[in-house]
Amino acid sequence: MYFLTGWPRRLLCPLRSAEEPFHIQPSSQRFYFALLSETQLSIWFSRPSVLIVSYIESAKAAAQFGFYQKAEWKPDDSMVAVATANGYILLFDVLGGGEEKYLYEPVYPKGSPRVKVTPGYKEEQCAPALSLEMKKPVDLEAPITSLQTLQEDLLVCTADGYLHVLHWDGLGSNGRKAICLTTIPFSLDLQSARGGPSLDLEGVYIRSMEYCLTLDGFAVVLSDGRLGFITPLSSSITADQLQGVWAADVMDGTCVAVNNKYRLMTFGCASGSVLVYMIDTTTGSMQLSHKLELTPKHYPDIYNKTGAVKLICWSPDYSVVMVTWECGGLSLWSVFGAHLICTLGEDFAHHSDGTKKDPLKISSMSWGAEGYHLWVIPSRQERRKQEENEEQDVEMISPPHPSLQTGILQFHFIKSALTVNPCTSNQEQVLLHGEDRLYLTCGDPRQIHSTSDVHTNLHPQDGSPMHHPPNPDSSLSQGLSTLLGHKHWHVVQIHSTYLESNWPIRFAAIDTAGQCMAVAGRRGFAHYSLFTRKWKLFGNITQEQNMTVTGGLAWWKDLVVVACYNFTDQQEQLRLYQRSSNLDNAFASVTKLHSDTLLLNVFKDMVILFRADCSICLYSIERRNDGPTPSVSVELLQEVSMSRYIPHPALVVSVTLTSVRTETGISLKAPQQACMAESIMLNLAGQLIMLQRDRSGPQVRDKETPAVNKKLLPFCPPVVLAQCVENVWTTCRSNKKKRHLLEALWLSCGEAGMKVWLPLFPRDHRKPHSFLSRRIMLPFHINIYPLAVLFEDALVLGATNETVLYDGLQGSSEPLVALFPYCTVERTSQIYLHHILRQLLVRNLGEQALMLAQSCATLPYFPHVLELMVHVVLEEEATSREPIPDPLLPTVAKFITEFPLFLQTIVHCARKTEYALWNYLFAAVGNPKDLFEECLMAQDLDTAASYLIILQNMEVPAVSRQHATLLFNTALEQGKWDLCRHMIRFLKAIGSGEMESPPPTPSTQEPSSTGGFEFFRNRSISLSQSADSISTGKFNLQKTFSMPSGSSAKGRDVECAENMYIDMMLWRHARHLLEQVRLRDLGCFSAQLGFELIGWLCRERNRVARVDDFVSALKKLHKDFLWPFPVIPVGSLSSPLKNGRCRSGEQTGNLAGF
Amino acid sequence: MIEVVASMARGPVFLAGELLECLITFTNPMSHLSTSASSEMLAWASAQIHCQFHASENRVALPAQGNKQDVQADSDTVLIPSRGERGQCVLDTPPKILFCDLRLDPGESKTYSYSELVPVDGPPSFRGQAVKYVYKLTIGCQRVNSPIKLLRVPLRVLVLQGMPEPPFPQNEEVSPSNPFLEEEEASRRDATALERALDMLMVTTSRRCPHMFNITNTRGKVAKFCIFKTVYRLGEDIVGTFNFSEGDIPCLQYSVSLQSEEEIQQQYQRRPGQAISVSGHGRHVESCLHTASSHFSLPVPLNVTPGFSTDIVTLRWRLHFEFVTACEPMEPPTVLQNQSEVTVWAGAEHVDVDTFSWNLPVKVLPTNPALASYVSQFIGTNSINI
Repeated sequence: MYFLTGWPRRLLCPLRSAEEPFHIQPSSQRFYFALLSETQLSIWFSRPSVLIVSYIESAKAAAQFGFYQKAEWKPDDSMVAVATANGYILLFDVLGGGEEKYLYEPVYPKGSPRVKVTPGYKEEQCAPALSLEMKKPVDLEAPITSLQTLQEDLLVCTADGYLHVLHWDGLGSNGRKAICLTTIPFSLDLQSARGGPSLDLEGVYIRSMEYCLTLDGFAVVLSDGRLGFITPLSSSITADQLQGVWAADVMDGTCVAVNNKYRLMTFGCASGSVLVYMIDTTTGSMQLSHKLELTPKHYPDIYNKTGAVKLICWSPDYSVVMVTWECGGLSLWSVFGAHLICTLGEDFAHHSDGTKKDPLKISSMSWGAEGYHLWVIPSRQERRKQEENEEQDVEMISPPHPSLQTGILQFHFIKSALTVNPCTSNQEQVLLHGEDRLYLTCGDPRQIHSTSDVHTNLHPQDGSPMHHPPNPDSSLSQGLSTLLGHKHWHVVQIHSTYLESNWPIRFAAIDTAGQCMAVAGRRGFAHYSLFTRKWKLFGNITQEQNMTVTGGLAWWKDLVVVACYNFTDQQEQLRLYQRSSNLDNAFASVTKLHSDTLLLNVFKDMVILFRADCSICLYSIERRNDGPTPSVSVELLQEVSMSRYIPHPALVVSVTLTSVRTETGISLKAPQQACMAESIMLNLAGQLIMLQRDRSGPQVRDKETPAVNKKLLPFCPPVVLAQCVENVWTTCRSNKKKRHLLEALWLSCGEAGMKVWLPLFPRDHRKPHSFLSRRIMLPFHINIYPLAVLFEDALVLGATNETVLYDGLQGSSEPLVALFPYCTVERTSQIYLHHILRQLLVRNLGEQALMLAQSCATLPYFPHVLELMVHVVLEEEATSREPIPDPLLPTVAKFITEFPLFLQTIVHCARKTEYALWNYLFAAVGNPKDLFEECLMAQDLDTAASYLIILQNMEVPAVSRQHATLLFNTALEQGKWDLCRHMIRFLKAIGSGEMESPPPTPSTQEPSSTGGFEFFRNRSISLSQSADSISTGKFNLQKTFSMPSGSSAKGRDVECAENMYIDMMLWRHARHLLEQVRLRDLGCFSAQLGFELIGWLCRERNRVARVDDFVSALKKLHKDFLWPFPVIPVGSLSSPLKNGRCRSGEQTGNLAGF
Repeated sequence: MIEVVASMARGPVFLAGELLECLITFTNPMSHLSTSASSEMLAWASAQIHCQFHASENRVALPAQGNKQDVQADSDTVLIPSRGERGQCVLDTPPKILFCDLRLDPGESKTYSYSELVPVDGPPSFRGQAVKYVYKLTIGCQRVNSPIKLLRVPLRVLVLQGMPEPPFPQNEEVSPSNPFLEEEEASRRDATALERALDMLMVTTSRRCPHMFNITNTRGKVAKFCIFKTVYRLGEDIVGTFNFSEGDIPCLQYSVSLQSEEEIQQQYQRRPGQAISVSGHGRHVESCLHTASSHFSLPVPLNVTPGFSTDIVTLRWRLHFEFVTACEPMEPPTVLQNQSEVTVWAGAEHVDVDTFSWNLPVKVLPTNPALASYVSQFIGTNSINI
């Protein structure tokens, strides 16, 4: 996934000119960019971003051709075609690209102490020298609306309704064809009878067009706003071989872009929304997949005021799309519509003082190589404004002088390693890569797993948890909270030597432990270890330059697995390099491959490759330690041809081996077996396809020769599991206790959120009925873009863009800093368990929900999950306008009673929801009075105190006082001093309050769900609010006791009565303690509550303070204070008892004196 | 055999003044079912934090020291934590005895908790080119009539210099302490040491005050540089912006490196006027020939030592800039419209260049030790068998 970082960079054209560029067109590899202004064609280089050459038209030619409008590159970068206003196609030869000639090569002064800043500056940091030569122009005699290059041809649409096919070589003379739009038959799908030419195409032309390779056709927007798709029925484009399809009911199309990897056509509309279409493979009709629209919820100011969609730009890897509107702004979406960034809101749209900024209006934009940059040309008036601002700051001396073109902005992006290299270990860690650095999450979730495992393993075996490792629970929760709480990344800068010669980085991979990373650029690769903090590069630069990574890279244990092309042997290879040894081919294991590799993945001890011939190969890896140096042997296990199911190899997004099965035909097996490579998951253009191993054969064979058999088991025909899939997560780990979470399949589906394919386990291991399904697909919404699933922790990790404004700072004259916020990426995480539990309950799968919840009950945030579940259901059902015949809240409540946290969960949830919903809540979960009493019985006083707040708001004061007294007494008895102090406050507050009686709590039978406001009272006491003042004013309590706070006489009376009441209770408790000779408790009681002891003891001198049973009192004292009994000297065995009596008297006296 | 495992749940990184807690578990690993099982005895165990100082011979001249005896007799029962370590022990906490006469039955294990304040006045953990300060928690155990065995747990200590003293509690009345009030205040005070340090860090590093610099060389103005603050925490990004559009001299390339300078105090230098050792911790290089404005962001690594000073060594941080500029100012050529001939402008093949450099001192402060723990090389758990 893509995230914006930093500020944009602004480029400066070294030529002064009155004209300003308005169009940018990248070459096929995005190393060159063609920029057009009215009479000028300039070519820029990507890195360094410098101007190479500029062609300025002569006045005569400019008058003949008209102004430049659009440009297109020939696929091999050797030519640029420019469309002009008067209907000409100008063809420019781009010369000198391959020669060893460079521009801006620095010449250091002789005798300079430091000759070069960077070694090898010349080759890497210089732009190649190019020159432009115009060839014969072609006159198409009508304004040109669209240009599109094919492999050999250039397709041009003109405003007279024609489609011209021109050959790149010998343009204009041979091979020129013109097809009239009216001759193309259009229908709603390809199956319906081919009618004649559509009549209503008269006078209509193609406004915008783009060719989709994987659909083999053109997505077009017609001048009347209709959308269509034109496909050639044969291999060549000829007039009578074209067939068109309409998109139904759309009349306001403005622009189009296609996604070759996911076979999607995106059309911009005048309404401001982007429609994403796919082609139905059976009928050939255009089907709306989803829309990209700003929501009124997130963009209330702008969502319907954006104007028409102006430009749509898919990133080079087709995983995100950038959209801009007439009113400006940049907006980024994932392929299936998850919204990532929009510069029309928040810090992008407002200054730090709250004033509104003008949105950045864009006339043209283009992604740079590998999507690390977005080159943006702001539209003219925008730049004017910017310059005016600058002129205010810096007084320009000569305004009439043609100014420098300062138009191009480069936005920087970092992206998830998953977008191009979706190998398994990248899915378990969050790894982002920018142009020159890697971002990884701090903290290792695996460590947490291991501690939790230790915990579960050790506990039952050993009866003495006292002597066991450091309180695994606390470390677990601490680990997790820090893991979740920190938004920091660990940033690793990519080694500059590698980066300079191999920019841009194309693949990145991290190992499962999150300790080792590998990156691959144009040639070779390099890896880094967090242990050593060092990069390892090829020692031999020739070896590095002789290979290029083609299918991605992955870690297997401490080896880097690379699918690459070897330039010396001219063959595709699978290589494994040891991390510990030098990076050298001498230490590599090399396996020859027969076809180009497109994707690579690792599952346990297997490597899975997807090749350009649409076949999947499984290899086994085995480490051998027999030789002097450890070696690795790679063996081909199986080859599966997929060409029947895959129309084009470029459509495969990811391929994974998993242990997931639908479990048809076999009963539930032990988890060990569940960890075998059971099926292949293939993401084909967003369609998730599963191929299971065919176990329909006789099962006996399984046992005979399992090793051989495993290799030979063929795969069943594919089954489609889900649509619109962006990423898939599975794990090969197993945990008997968390089977639901570990054996599930997690999918991210763009705007639709996530889906989980959850296994359903039969109860009590009975043989399941064959008609019951074994798995269920549950969708759920999350607020973040998911990048990793922590299976055991029931967590999703992601990242979001955050912004910081720097514009309010003094002296920052930099206009860009004032114009844009500084963008950072922060890691986020989300719990989702409550969604799943709820969905299971809705589907009457409560048993599964219970099993799942019980497996997660030890998670530190599990109470939060339950709370969220009640809260969400409560909010939904209590505020629903329509009656709910089958409310879920009672079910949820009953579900939670299965957990010891029930009482706590309900009261926490209640206190976080508004008062108006309480009646609905307690009608479902039970009377708060009963719940309060349950808390008291369970000795959970803190929760009981929380219920007291509820009671106090829902009941008459008498009831809440009665309950408060109960709680106060229990708290005194248990020595919960903080709570006692709170209760004293509470009781006083109740007494001082007004005496009118609110209606009693409705009983569960009364379905009065609305109108909760009539119970509302102004007075409310919050324990949490008063907690601070109370704990600091511990010693002042006595003072407040005697100080009446009420002003009116009546208030004072009430106050006094209340104080009396409390004092009575305190005395009673003190008497009770003294009666039982609990002097230590009495001491604490007095110290903690500021109970005035001396006077009281004086008063009680002859009552309860009298000791009757001296022996037991003495024993009790010794026990209380852990005071050893006096050692009786041998000689004085017959000492009189009187001594002891004296002693005890003394001691009690002393203690009472405190 | 007895297995001794020491583990610090909080991670191996601490801020000076913080309470270090380590749980030390002694286990008799024999199963009580095995035939040769027997109880194991340990005479005593004791633990201590100490800091070892080591200086490179050819950079630091230390005053001659009496050779401390490093050899320990087998029969000795004195724990010398620095035994067998390189360098000298510059700081140690008082040893704490964990137990005497421990008997472990087969399969039995016992855990002891060791806690100690990490000394406030010590140097931070530092591995420089001339000087090293290494902190360790050493646990010594001895069986009767056997040599002392040492278990070492390396730690990393961050020092926040200039930490304010804890404020004197104002609210509490000056009254004789009540024995029935538990010692909760004391523990609360320890916990706030870290909080106060973090607060102070937050306050000092979150303040933004932009500094503007005009970068010029002898030939003219090159660029305008702005940095938003000069005090950073570990793990933070140093962000600065460049504006080249107003410069007279074209700049082809610039680089920014984050560097630390390790300087030996004069009286300890091996050679007079010896060079300061400089090491780099991240570099940003950018070509900026046709660039109007740009910015860099350099992360301060989490594993480096923040700036500090002892009587032997001073560590300072700086940003080192290098610029490659053209020798002459280049007036941008003007493209005139409506020329009778086609004009093709191409960039120059060679540019005569000059280089110059500049240093900007910055301050690097510690961060939350929990955060630094994540990237620590130490794992916080060590074990030996005795």
